Amino acid sequence: MATYIIRRLLQGIIVLLAVSTVCFVMFRYTGDPVLMLAGKYATQEEREHVRHVYGLDRPVHEQYISFLGGVLQGDFGKSYVSQIDALDMILERFPATFELASTAIMISFIFGVGLGVVVSVWPSGWLSRTIMAGSLFGISIPTFLIGILLVMFFSVYIEIFPSFGRGDTVQIGFWRTGLLTASGWQHILLPALTLSGYQLAVLIRLTRAGMRETLSEEYIKTAKAKGLSPAKVVLKHALRNVMIPVVTITGLSFGELIAFSIVTETIFQWPGMGNLLLTSIFETDQPIIVTYIMLAACIILTINILVDVLYAFLNPRIRYD
Amino acid sequence: MKRLALKGLLLFTITALPTSALAAADLVIATDAPPKSMNPHAYSSDANLSYMSNFFDGLLQRKSPDGKLAPALATGWERVDGVTWKFTLREGVKFHNGNAFDSADVKFTFTRMKDPKFSKLLNIANSIEAIETPDAYTVIFKTKKPVPWFANTMHQNFIVDKESSENRDSGDYNTRPIGTGAYTFVEWVKGSYIRMQANPDYWEGEPKYKTVDIRPITEESTRFAALAGKQVDIVNGVPVTLYDKIQNMPHIELISQAARRAIYMDITNKPGTPFEDIRVRQAIAHAINEEQIIEKVMRGQATLAHQVPDVPTIGYDETLKRLDYNPEKAKQLLKDAGYPDGFEITIAGPNDRYINDEKICEAVAKYLAKIGLKVNLDVKPKSIFFDEISEFKHHFYLIGWFDGSFDFGRSAEKLLHTPDPDKGMGVYNGTYYSNSDIDNMIIESSSIIDFKEREEALQTVNRKSVEDVAWIPLHYQQDIFAVIKGKGIKFTPRSDRWIVVKEIM
Repeated sequence: MATYIIRRLLQGIIVLLAVSTVCFVMFRYTGDPVLMLAGKYATQEEREHVRHVYGLDRPVHEQYISFLGGVLQGDFGKSYVSQIDALDMILERFPATFELASTAIMISFIFGVGLGVVVSVWPSGWLSRTIMAGSLFGISIPTFLIGILLVMFFSVYIEIFPSFGRGDTVQIGFWRTGLLTASGWQHILLPALTLSGYQLAVLIRLTRAGMRETLSEEYIKTAKAKGLSPAKVVLKHALRNVMIPVVTITGLSFGELIAFSIVTETIFQWPGMGNLLLTSIFETDQPIIVTYIMLAACIILTINILVDVLYAFLNPRIRYD
Repeated sequence: MKRLALKGLLLFTITALPTSALAAADLVIATDAPPKSMNPHAYSSDANLSYMSNFFDGLLQRKSPDGKLAPALATGWERVDGVTWKFTLREGVKFHNGNAFDSADVKFTFTRMKDPKFSKLLNIANSIEAIETPDAYTVIFKTKKPVPWFANTMHQNFIVDKESSENRDSGDYNTRPIGTGAYTFVEWVKGSYIRMQANPDYWEGEPKYKTVDIRPITEESTRFAALAGKQVDIVNGVPVTLYDKIQNMPHIELISQAARRAIYMDITNKPGTPFEDIRVRQAIAHAINEEQIIEKVMRGQATLAHQVPDVPTIGYDETLKRLDYNPEKAKQLLKDAGYPDGFEITIAGPNDRYINDEKICEAVAKYLAKIGLKVNLDVKPKSIFFDEISEFKHHFYLIGWFDGSFDFGRSAEKLLHTPDPDKGMGVYNGTYYSNSDIDNMIIESSSIIDFKEREEALQTVNRKSVEDVAWIPLHYQQDIFAVIKGKGIKFTPRSDRWIVVKEIM
């Protein structure tokens, strides 16, 4: 078991190294940061001076090694635009994104599984047909459209939810949370709903498929024949077995939601990491972009490794050796 | 056990609710661009300077709405000779941390501005040869060469406190501003809002609104939704496309104001290109139907430009007229220049910088196709486009300009003079337009001390540039602001787009 975990960790480190190399090389060849650093009205001489001050006149491999050295000490460099530590800037935004993604994943999990059960128990009712048609919309409508429609309806026409921002926040240690204020909840609802749309639809379909298969199994018939109440049969005997793939998918998509909530954050002006990334891309602020990608890779890798390790624990047959 | 934990959490949530409700701001302003840093010298864009103008003061300031230069931290100023400027400082001003303001802070500020680690306002700082401080309230600047617009930039060179700036680390310095301005800094939640508090000891008197939030909302549709949902009091950058829709909303007042920025087509005269011949440049100018662009593309929200500088700029000449729209004449000129069948031309431009920039390029392309040119369109994001401009990649492109120093002499050095990086000339002349007559006139004008005489010299440069078709002016943008009605807010937009909260009544 230990060797398995160590091997997975080593693989993870190699992937991170590869990601950092690709990032670094890519950004060397997309736009010259000096133009941004020196300001657009700088003279050639001033630009050369800036290039030297930031060490951008050294050979690429030297810059890469000093970059890696910094990363190992937790120093990802300073934002070219604001001169603030890149990692600090991103971590400051992390709570907002994390809360948004968690709320979204809760919404999609609760409603996804709930509605999935409804449609598998009463497959031919009008309600089920509506839900299934709705889930098709959820999968095929792009996130930004859902977001804009929600804003149009809830903020502009009936004016019950605010259209942007996080509302009032409370600082607890390093964590700035919006989940402890009424205004925070009002603000998070629309973006979380937007972000959960796709996941919700997927989970409905996944639950339904699993339930329909399980409900026709012999042991369900046995349970029914024993005279157990239908609710008990569905929830305790069928749903439990369906939950395994559902939880896996939810867990894996959580990482993605954290790392790629860019579109939703932009529409709702959510002060999270995705918003920062987009701004930084427009400003060619390389340290922020590179740090963000490294962090996203880290989050997704960690979740993947955790899931793999859990699998190995749960099911000794899957030890991949 | 689980249930108990849940109950506990619920209880915690409920008790936490009332205490965390923060005092709402007296005034909420939504802007289209976030601040990049709270270091007043970190960024020269009007968006960043606009934020800084609330926390800091310059030696001088510009008054709304026409941008007239007025005293601020300096009570008087004088150009002693071609390269010497003397400023008399205001006494009794204090920084937000309680430190007194004097000439040492001014000297420190301009010395710091030379360091690219702290500053992007390198041009003006590097033009200074020496700073003398004969006493605590007098500063004398000596410039390396004559810089006639030196005082004109003093509204945007914000003065920082020497003692605290030296002692703070760069992270703190870049996030928590300490100035002498009308507002003290409270909090900057990045991507969310900037909160500020009226400075009771401000030398011009305490401003009207006590707690003010500025919320940057970069997405146009989100900004519109915030306005429609009455969550903000003042909005800038209202999209032209939504003008009619917002006008129909009873709770909103729209203010449309001529902006300083001129949009123009920059054109080369490089030998070996068709543009070398002035008749070709004239033909292109005659081919563009700018009035139709204003009507159809800008929906009336723009003013026809006959020249690049705007009215308050020194060097503006009201008698100048643009070449009229005349496609027949354009075709004739092309024929005379030896291109009866046209030639291939590429129109470059940004697609995320100016109002409707991409659509204007498309319209110009259509007009040029009508006089028989084979047109390629090359529009791209500004981050790539501006790099290409500084590499002189394009012969013909759309760009915008306004001069923060209100001085056409400075504009001409950057935009018209033949590129000469060593002297800092023509750094923004991306077409490599070159005319030795104009070059000489620009250089000569910079050492004239008499204001009237210099203004005339600059008007001549301006006239010459239009006559030689060094560029084709299109229009001045219109800035559209929206204000919520019924709250008694008196807001007069400034021509430089800055939102100076102390001016809002």
